[in-house]
Amino acid sequence: MIALYVVAAIAVFAAARAILERNTGRRFPYANVLNFAVAGSLVLLLDHPITLIAAAAYFVGSTLEANAIASTYAGGMKR
Amino acid sequence: MLGEILHILAAAIISWILFVTVDIFFGLPEAGGVSGATAIAQDIEAGGGDLSGGTMMGNIVCSPDASAGTLLAACGVYVAGIPGGLAAALMVYIGNRICHDPGYAGTTGAVLATFVVYGFTQVGFAASDFIAGMVIAILTIQGLSHTHASRLLGRLWRIRE
Amino acid sequence: MIFELQVVFGLIALAGALSAALLKDPYAKLIALGILVSGALPFIVDRGYLDVAIVASLIAPISTIFVLMAVRRAET
Repeated sequence: MIALYVVAAIAVFAAARAILERNTGRRFPYANVLNFAVAGSLVLLLDHPITLIAAAAYFVGSTLEANAIASTYAGGMKR
Repeated sequence: MLGEILHILAAAIISWILFVTVDIFFGLPEAGGVSGATAIAQDIEAGGGDLSGGTMMGNIVCSPDASAGTLLAACGVYVAGIPGGLAAALMVYIGNRICHDPGYAGTTGAVLATFVVYGFTQVGFAASDFIAGMVIAILTIQGLSHTHASRLLGRLWRIRE
Repeated sequence: MIFELQVVFGLIALAGALSAALLKDPYAKLIALGILVSGALPFIVDRGYLDVAIVASLIAPISTIFVLMAVRRAET
């Protein structure tokens, strides 16, 4: 039970840091911490084998999203 | 109550050592896997950090590496024991292939973490302790201070070289 | 779900929505959309709709990639 509270507290902290950071490139690590925390809390909320697939799908999807945004950001910085 | 908190802190230290060792062994701080990782590393260096440590942080953001493998393996052991952990390793490998990464670090980290977490569940830890511990470990790397974390990772990388 | 967790995840979703509306930088807007999705997903999983959660977490990045194409075209 304490694990779920710890993970939720880290999630809200990371979301606040990601929104309040001024530099765009330094927002990505905070958003990554939020992804870790939410993927962990999904499994802790509902103890069922398919939840593992849901957490993995969420994690891979959000990593791909961050990858695409960061690559476009790198292309925009070069120009 | 207090025992569970101590278990979570011990699990955080164990998973921190595990994923940093695997990542540095597979040479993540050496070069950015995709252009986005390099851009994040340059922004961290502009804020006063270290370039090779920032490259490792960018690689963690841009593709599922050993840290993601440790988290998902702990989740797999929590829901289904050792088969769940190995299924999580398979999903980390698929995610690595989607993100244009060879996938050695993530898969190795997931398989190692499966056995480590299962071994610690035999001596009194719960698998949920390792989920919370892994989230705390990634918070200390990516979420508290990019400057100090990247300098620490850069120092570890120069020791390995 | 426990009441405190409902408040926490609801706050994350609301903060993501507000910052997606208010921030000026296009990349910051897209990151805020990701925060919005991650705040909404635990509510879906908590009710047990795991298939809906899998589909939502796979569709959200794809829609972000489509929006990125528009961002790239607007910059050039």
